[in-house]
Order: sequence, then structure tokens, then C-alpha cells
Amino acid sequence: MNWALALPEIVLAACGLLILVIGVLRKSDSAQLCSMLTLGAFLVTGLLVLTRPGGIGYYGQFTVDSFAVLTKLLILIGAALSLMLSFDYNDRQGIARFEYPVLILFATVGMMGMVSASSLMTLYVALELQSLALYVLAAFARDELRSSEAGLKYFVLGALASGLLLYGISLVYGFSGTMDFGVLAHALGSPAQASAGLIVGVVFVIVGLAFKISAAPFHMWTPDVYEGSPTSVTVFLATAPKVAAMALLLRVMAEPFGHLLASWQLVIEVVSIASMVLGALAAIGQTNVKRLMAYSSIGHMGYALIGLAVGTPLGMRGVLVYLIVYIFMSAGTWACIIAMRRQGLAVEKIEDLSGLARTDPGLALAFAIFMFSMAGIPPLSGFFGKLYVFLAAVQSGLWTLAIIGVLTSVVGSYYYLRIVKVMYFDAPGPALDRRPSMLGFVAAVTGVFTLFFFLFPGPLVAAAGTAASALFG
Amino acid sequence: MVGTMPVGVGHFLVVSAILLVLGVFGIFLNRKNIIIIMMSIELILLAVNLNLVAFSGALGDLTGQVMAMFVLTVAAAEAAIGLAIVVVYFRNRGSIQVEDVNLMKG
Amino acid sequence: MIYMLAVFAPLAGALVAGLLGRWIGDRAAMAASVLGMAVAAVCGPLAWAMLEWGGAPAGTIRIATWIQAGSFHVHWALRYDALSAVMVAMVGFVSMLIHVYSVGYMAHDSYRRYRFFAYLSLFTFAMLMLVTANNLLQLFFGWEGVGLCSYLLIGYWYDRPAACAAAIKAFVVNRIGDLAFAIGVAMLFLTFGSIGFTTIFAHLAQHQTERYHILGGSIRVYELIAILLFIGAMGKSAQLFLHVWLPDAMEGPTPVSALIHAATMVTAGVFLVARMSPLFDQAPAAMTLVAVIGGSTAFFAATIGCVQNDIKRVIAYSTCSQLGYMFLGEGVGAYPASIFHLLTHAFFKALLFLCAGSVIHAMSDEQDMRKMGGLWRKIPITYVTMWAGSLALGGVFPFAGYYSKDAILEAALAAHSAVGDYGFVMGILAAVMTGFYSWRLLLMTFHGKPRGDHHAMAHAHESPWVMTVPLMVLAVGALSAGFLLHGIVIGPHWQYFWRGTLVLAPGNQVMTAMDQLPGWAYVVPSIAGLLGIAIAYWFYWWNPMLPVRLASQFRPLYLFLLNKWYFDELYDALFVRPAFALGKLLWQTGDETIIDGVPNGLADLAVDGSRGAVKIQTGSIAVYAFTMLIGLVVLVGIFLIWG
Repeated sequence: MNWALALPEIVLAACGLLILVIGVLRKSDSAQLCSMLTLGAFLVTGLLVLTRPGGIGYYGQFTVDSFAVLTKLLILIGAALSLMLSFDYNDRQGIARFEYPVLILFATVGMMGMVSASSLMTLYVALELQSLALYVLAAFARDELRSSEAGLKYFVLGALASGLLLYGISLVYGFSGTMDFGVLAHALGSPAQASAGLIVGVVFVIVGLAFKISAAPFHMWTPDVYEGSPTSVTVFLATAPKVAAMALLLRVMAEPFGHLLASWQLVIEVVSIASMVLGALAAIGQTNVKRLMAYSSIGHMGYALIGLAVGTPLGMRGVLVYLIVYIFMSAGTWACIIAMRRQGLAVEKIEDLSGLARTDPGLALAFAIFMFSMAGIPPLSGFFGKLYVFLAAVQSGLWTLAIIGVLTSVVGSYYYLRIVKVMYFDAPGPALDRRPSMLGFVAAVTGVFTLFFFLFPGPLVAAAGTAASALFG
Repeated sequence: MVGTMPVGVGHFLVVSAILLVLGVFGIFLNRKNIIIIMMSIELILLAVNLNLVAFSGALGDLTGQVMAMFVLTVAAAEAAIGLAIVVVYFRNRGSIQVEDVNLMKG
Repeated sequence: MIYMLAVFAPLAGALVAGLLGRWIGDRAAMAASVLGMAVAAVCGPLAWAMLEWGGAPAGTIRIATWIQAGSFHVHWALRYDALSAVMVAMVGFVSMLIHVYSVGYMAHDSYRRYRFFAYLSLFTFAMLMLVTANNLLQLFFGWEGVGLCSYLLIGYWYDRPAACAAAIKAFVVNRIGDLAFAIGVAMLFLTFGSIGFTTIFAHLAQHQTERYHILGGSIRVYELIAILLFIGAMGKSAQLFLHVWLPDAMEGPTPVSALIHAATMVTAGVFLVARMSPLFDQAPAAMTLVAVIGGSTAFFAATIGCVQNDIKRVIAYSTCSQLGYMFLGEGVGAYPASIFHLLTHAFFKALLFLCAGSVIHAMSDEQDMRKMGGLWRKIPITYVTMWAGSLALGGVFPFAGYYSKDAILEAALAAHSAVGDYGFVMGILAAVMTGFYSWRLLLMTFHGKPRGDHHAMAHAHESPWVMTVPLMVLAVGALSAGFLLHGIVIGPHWQYFWRGTLVLAPGNQVMTAMDQLPGWAYVVPSIAGLLGIAIAYWFYWWNPMLPVRLASQFRPLYLFLLNKWYFDELYDALFVRPAFALGKLLWQTGDETIIDGVPNGLADLAVDGSRGAVKIQTGSIAVYAFTMLIGLVVLVGIFLIWG
């Protein structure tokens, strides 16, 4: 048994315990220190992920392939970016406690386990490790009603979703006799093996995972939790867990259930269309930026699901490119939203942005770049994300999906452009507070990535292609 | 054993399905108390455990029982976290009535 | 390697200056940017010399894969051949001089200067990408890049409304050209399945007879593509009908005008036609169009240049006119002559602009020539170098313009076609006017009584050495470039020099016929130039009252020219106002539809859908859980029925 396969996760978990101890022992200002240590742990883990060899270990429970490596790096980047954005915000909101980075860290361990899972058991345990940490994070501002309501809603619905997922796992186990992905794939090699019980189990599993990526109609928690949670937590929810859950969904659909493509393809299509339509429509009337971004993320997951519905390595590559692009532009957008603070109070209405171009041109420009990219306007990175999934859909003849995707992204661009319009053409309101340099840094890095992705998409697309083909053995 | 029907895996499945449906309905038909929702969630997890153990026995494979152990452990952690969140919520809202949880909508 | 260094050193300079400028300060940013350019200015000519005389093999330097989607593969690659290398050498060298000059010119500017230098270096990089492009997409990238930098630099003084308006005008006019260009590129891809130059040129013979059928008529594919590409070139190179943006672009700082709107960017159109010469050779109708537009622009812009009073605008119209010459040369197939003129023009036009900048600098930002005069004693170096530039522009032996402009005119005549003759006549007329407006500029600015206000005149001073040294270097170039280069660039062995990058249509003997014209043809262009100079002396030296009298006598003609043939007014009435009216209409109805909820069309459907989607979001946990359950049941149903 090659236990060293999970070395990055083990190291990260050990660091988490250590940081927890340090946080408890140091009486004052431990939050800043723990955050820095956590960032350091992410860095070390990232290096380990990059350098460790791949393979399958723990009796087939845990696998490390190029897919896992790519998505783990994305998860670590997302977690690190959102942690950086939280420094100043948590301080000012009075929630700068050392538990925060520790919870983020353990959620990250869970996510890394998810993308490496090669059995339903690992899948469940890792997923719960991530979810439990996220429930607590959502309710982290414990003296604030909205935050605790967000935590409560997230918890109840999340537990329901896990229950459905587990029920699905038990059915799949019962009707196939195994939890191992490899054995499952082998057993399902001939479609005749797929009994009704198994199929129902697969649907339950899809539902459980669709909840985690907040795809319609399992998205209902998203707007409330995004709005209610402290914004630093929302940033985290909007980046790393999205990647982890989507990657997990990709692996589960491609590896054990890959032979059932014909059966689940329609289900994923329905979910994808529902998400795209809902994401485009429901965001139109929103006045709260955080809520708007919640609906926007639902739409984006719908676009990414197009690639999964295609079910080919090309489609999976599209999903991965989409995730790479999404995590950067999403982190950048949230950096801009976190910077919205007036006279010490966080503001989150769209109208609070009015005339930003005149009071803070730099922030307005960055925000505009991210909005254009989210709307999928070339040559920004968001366009390429959509391009690759649409391309895969068209090549596989899924015209309906591609057409609905294009239509909804046209509708969706309305509300992205509305934000740009408010920033650039409305009469300026009082200036926002001076933003901390860390926000500027994150916004600049992600902005440069978003703006100049089109120059060198080659290496990233190639990496996504390799990772996607790893799923297909 | 005369006159009794042998208990097969199907019976376990039916029971666990009933438990599942009870749990799910408990979540959205209940208009009273969040604690009842917590109990419904436990019910769902119990249904799953029953399934796992029954399948494990029928298949002669231990994986299901190991999984059941994990589910029990995780369920305990989940219950602890859930109760903690409910306590925090109660401190802020002064109520844990289900219909009071509607500050955010739209 | 040296070649890559020449292309990427400006980028490095731009990045350092632009990204770190705020922290390292203006001086360090300027140093970084000038240093990057210095590297490029050394490496560019070196790479060119190595290709021409050092025996370095031509080829492509692949850098990275850019886009890979289906059958559409594009790589980042630098093309290393005679045409690209000579352009890289020229751009790097001229741009370096202008960077140095800018250090002095912008010294008193109140804005943060690192931004200016970052844009300037970035522009140079984009221009180098354009000329080294190995495929049309990369060329388009450079094309848009230079455009972007140009708008940024025109609007550099962003609190001057005229500067912002000029930037927007340049943007809009160029979009028209770019649209045609993009369609042309797309059609090339449809025809050849590739946008790489090598592939396109190799398969030219295969699609020669293909035609498009539109609106009952039909047109050869090559003709259509060539015309579309030429419209793009017209936009960038400010040819007739799309020229309106260039004079307004003079709102930017003068070094910008020198670099972008005289020496490099505006020549991109000329370069594009030369680069695509194998294709244009297959499209005789498009070639005729090129020649006609070129000849007309040369004449048209020169007439306007004769009456302008803003020193920079005179030179701007002269640029327009000279670009017309280059297109005329290309239109008759004399690509080497055109590119040769492009090179010499880069020297003397940059020189003229920088001299004008030096004058403006001396006059405390005065640009109206009517308020100058008598400056030659105060700024002697500028005066002498401006003479050199004007002599080159006027085509006086042995200055650069004499060799290159005459070559184009000779080629036009040697084409022995109606178009060629038309171009020759237009060119000769333009040459007369070129001499006239150049010396009008010289005489009004440097001679006569000082007409400026006393304060400005007393204050007039020669520029610091960082500005005068580039002037002197360029003056030497304007003096010697034609004399030194004409033998190898357009001489009998021009094919050896260009190594197949400039292709003449089979049967087109214009390059040899050039040397076999009757004797008068070689003398007429020079005489025309001298005639123009003589007229200018007559008007502004001996008879200073004559121009005023003429202007009042021929008032309609004078106003017609002064108002630039009323092109702006025409476009305003034809396009701008209707567009504004349409926009207003759409905006009002669109806005009212959405905001007042008038039930109308798709927008309303979206709003209704939005309300419905939000309505189920009641905030109640029970409803959320119920929705999930419904979703689950529906999915299981789908799975069991269709799965």
C-alpha cells in the first residue's frame, strides 16, 4: 500500500492540527498569524501536489492522476485567493478569529480528498469533511442573524442532499456489489447490467452532487447563503468548492458510470438547461450584488455542465477550461465586491456602485473586465471558457444545448453590462473607502489573467486535455 | 419458523424506503420546529444505514458495514454542528420556528 | 535569438514601466522603457543585416501554441524574412530615437509620465508583432494592439475634450476598416482552411477561379478578399474616405504623432498590402482600386495641406499624401519602391514631426504658424534639421525622398496603363504642392517678422540635447538613406534583396521598365518639387501679401480647402447624426420597454421569467426542500422513461 500517495492531504491536515494548537495557545492576534500559516501550508501542499508521483493506493480508495493534480491545484489557488481576500474583511467585520483559516484548511483537505476519491466511500467521507466545515463557515459571523440563518439553511438543505447522495450510494452498492470505481466501471461494462435500482441510485448520486455545485433545481440554498454569509466566506464558497464538486461529478460520471452515458446524458442536459435559464433570468431583477453573483454562479455551472453532458474527453476538457477560467474571474469579481465599503460599513447594493468609474477608476476598470468576461465577451477569458464547451457540444451534435447556451448568455449579459453601466454612466455617489492593498493585488492578478488569457491559452488547454483524458483511462 | 415468511433483502429495502420518505417529508411538511428537521435528517441517515447493512449481509461483503460505521460517525459530527448552528440562530432570532427562517428571499 | 530580443525587449520595457511605474517612479520607468528600446534598436538592424549579408537563414521562430480548436490551429511565431526584418530594423531604430526625444519633450508634463512611456513601448511591441506576424490572426492582434495604443496615446491628455473626441473618432473610423479586414481574414480561412501566410501563398494557384455569387452578380474570391483587406488598410493608413481620423489624432503629444501617426502605425496598411502581395497580384481589379485610391489621396491630401495653419496638421496631411504615394506604387505592382518609400518616409516624417515638436516646445505649446515667424535664430538646430526633412519630403537631390518618391512615380508611368498615367499625373501635381506646403511651413515658422506674442517669443529657446540629438540622427538618415539604399533595395538586383517576400505578378515588368523610360520622366518629379518650392518663396518671401489677396479672391476655393473638402461635415450629416438619432430612438424605446413594463417582445418575456424564477425563492426551508424533491422525482422519471 502506497500511503505516500495522500502525502499532500496528510501534510495539509497535520498543518491544520498544528495551526489549531497554535491558535488556541496564543491568546491575542492569533487570527493573522494562523491565516499566514495556512497560506504557507497551501503553498507547501501545492508544491507537494505538483511534485508527487501519481498512482492508486489505499486498496483502490484513493487515486492520484493528472486530473486530480490539476483540480487540486485549482482548489488550492481558489482557497488561497479567498483566504487572502478575507484578511482585512474579517478584521473589520469583527470576525477575525483563528478558527476561520483552520476551517478553510480542513474544507480544503476535504475537497482534495473529493477529487482523488476512487470509491464511493472516500467520496462520501471527503465530501462530508468539506461540507461540515462549510456549514460552520457560513454561520461564522455568529452575532449576525443573516449569517446564522444562512448557516442554518445551508446545513438543513446540505444534510438533506447528503442524505439523498448516501441513499443513492447504498443503492448503487447494493445493486452492483461494490463501491470501487474501477470495479463498478467493469461491472457496468454491459448496459444490460444496469437494473432499475442501480439507475435510481445513480440519479440520487447526481442529485446529491448537483446540490453541491448548486445546479438548478437544487440551487435554492445558493442565493440565501451567498447573501447571508460573511462576504469572505461567500468568496470561498464561490470558488474552491465549486471546482471540487464539479470535478467530483466529472469523475463519478466518467469513471464508474461512464458506460451508462446514454442513460444519464439526458438528466445532465435537463439540469444544465435549467441552470442556464435560471441563472440568466433570476439575476435580472436583483439589487444585491452578492445575490446577483449567486444566480450568476448557477448559470455558470449550467454552462460547465454542457461539457459534462457531451460526455467525451473533449467535453470534459471544456469543463476543466471553464473551471480554470471561472475560478480566476470569480475570485476577481469577489475581490471587487469585498472592496465595496463605505465609511467602514460593507455595502452590497448595485446602486452603491454608481459612478464608481469617477471615484475609483482602477476598481471600476477591474470590475468591468470581470463583468465583460462573465458575460463571455471576447477576447476575455470567459469567452474561451464558453467557446470550448460550446465547441464540444456542437461537435457531438448537441445543438440544443449550444443554442440555449448562446441564447442564455445573451440574456445574461444584460445584467453584467448593467453593472458596468451603473459604474460608468450613473451619477457618482460618495466615494468608497480606500481598499486594502491585498484586495488590489488579488484583483490585479486575476484581472491580468482574465484579460490576457487569450494570449496563451495553449498550455492550460493542453493541461486540461491531459487531465480529461486521464478520466477515460 | 413455520408460518413465518423469511425476511429477505427486499423487506429491508421497503422499510428503509419508508424511513427515507418519512425523513424527507418530515423536512418540508413540518411547520413547527427546527429540531424536528434535525430528527428527520437522522431518520434519512438511518434509512441509509439499514440499506447498507442489509446489502452487506445479502452480498456477503463487508464494505457496506464499514460504510455504515463511517455514516454513523459523520452523522454524529453533523448532528453536533447542526445543533450548534441552531443554538447560534436561536441566540440571534429568539425563536427556532421553521416559518421564522425567512429573512432572505427573492 | 537576436530577432526575438528585438521584438520582446520593448514589451519588457513596457511591462516594467507600466506595472511598476507607480512604485519605481517616473525616472526609473523612463529608463527601463528607453533601455528596452535601445536593445531593440541594436538587435533589429543587426538581425536584418545578418539576414541580408550574414547568411542567416530566413524562417519562422515558433514561440507557443495560441489557439487550438478543431481544425483551427494558430501558433505564436515570428516570421524572419527580408520584409519583416527590414521593418523590425526600421521600427526599432525610429522608435528608440522617439523614446529618447520624449524624455525631453515630456519633462514638463504634469501627468505621471510612466504611463506615457509604457504605452509608447507597448505600441512599439504591438507594431513589431504586426510586422513579424506569421499568420493573419497574429497580424490582426498586432493591428488591434497598435490601434489600442494609438487611442490611449491620442487621449493621453484625457481632460482635454478635443483629445477625447479625437480618440473616439480614430476608434470609430478604424472599426470600419477593421470590420472589413476581419471579414477578409475569415474568407481567407474559408477558402484556404488556414490563415498562415506560408499555407495561403503555397495554395494560391488552387482557388484562382473560384467565384462568389452575390446579388445576381459574381466576383472572384481573390478580388473580394483583396478589396476587403485593402479597406482595412485604408482605415489604418488614412486613405481617402477613411482619412478623417488622422488629422484629429494630432491632439496627442507630438512624439506620439511622430511615432504612430507618421513613421510606423499608419504604414501598417502599406505593409499589409505588401505582405499579401502574392494575393494582390492575382486580383487585378483590386490593384486598380489600390492605385486609384492611392493617387487620389496623394493629390487630395496635398491640396488641404497647402492652406492649413496648424503646424502639426500640415505635416499630418503631408503624411496622408505620402501614404497615397505608397499605395500608388503598390497598385502598379512596384512593391519594392513602395516599401522603400515607407522606410525613407519613416525617417524624414519622424524628423519633421519631432522638429515641429521642438518648435512647439520652444513656443510654449503654440501650434498656429500664423503666430510664429522669425524663429530661425533662436532655434538653429531645429531649423537646420527641419530643412533636411523638408528637402527630403520635397524630393530634392540627394535627399531620401528624391530616390523613393521618384521611383514610385516612374513605376506609375512605366506601368503603361490608364491607372498608372492617372497616378503619375496626380503624383506630379501632389509633388508641386508638397514643395509648396513644405516651404510655406518653413518660411512661416522660421522667417519673416515674429508674429507671436512678446512673452512667448522672448521665451523661445532651443530644446535640450536629448531632443536635438535624435533630430540630428534622423536628419542624417533623411539625407543619406535614399542615397545609400536605393541601389540594393530597388536596383536591378532587388529580387535578391527581398528574397521572394515581395512578389510581382507574372508578366509585370514594372521594376525593369522603370529604368527604361524616356529621359524627361526622370526630371519632371524633381522639377515639380522645385517649382513648388519656388512658388512658396514667391508667395511668402517676396510677396507676403499675395496669399491673402488670393485667399480673398478665390474665397470659395480657399474655404473648400481650409475645411478639408467638407469631409467632416459630410460624414456628420450622412452618418453621425442619423446614427445618433437611431441610437436615441432605440435607447428611448428600449429603456421605456424595460422600465415601464410595456408588454413588448423578448425583453419583457425575460423580465416575466425573472419574476417567476424569483417567486419560488420564498426564503422558506420547506419550499427549498420541496423543490429539491420535485427535481429528484422529475430526474428519476426521466431516467426511468428515457434512460
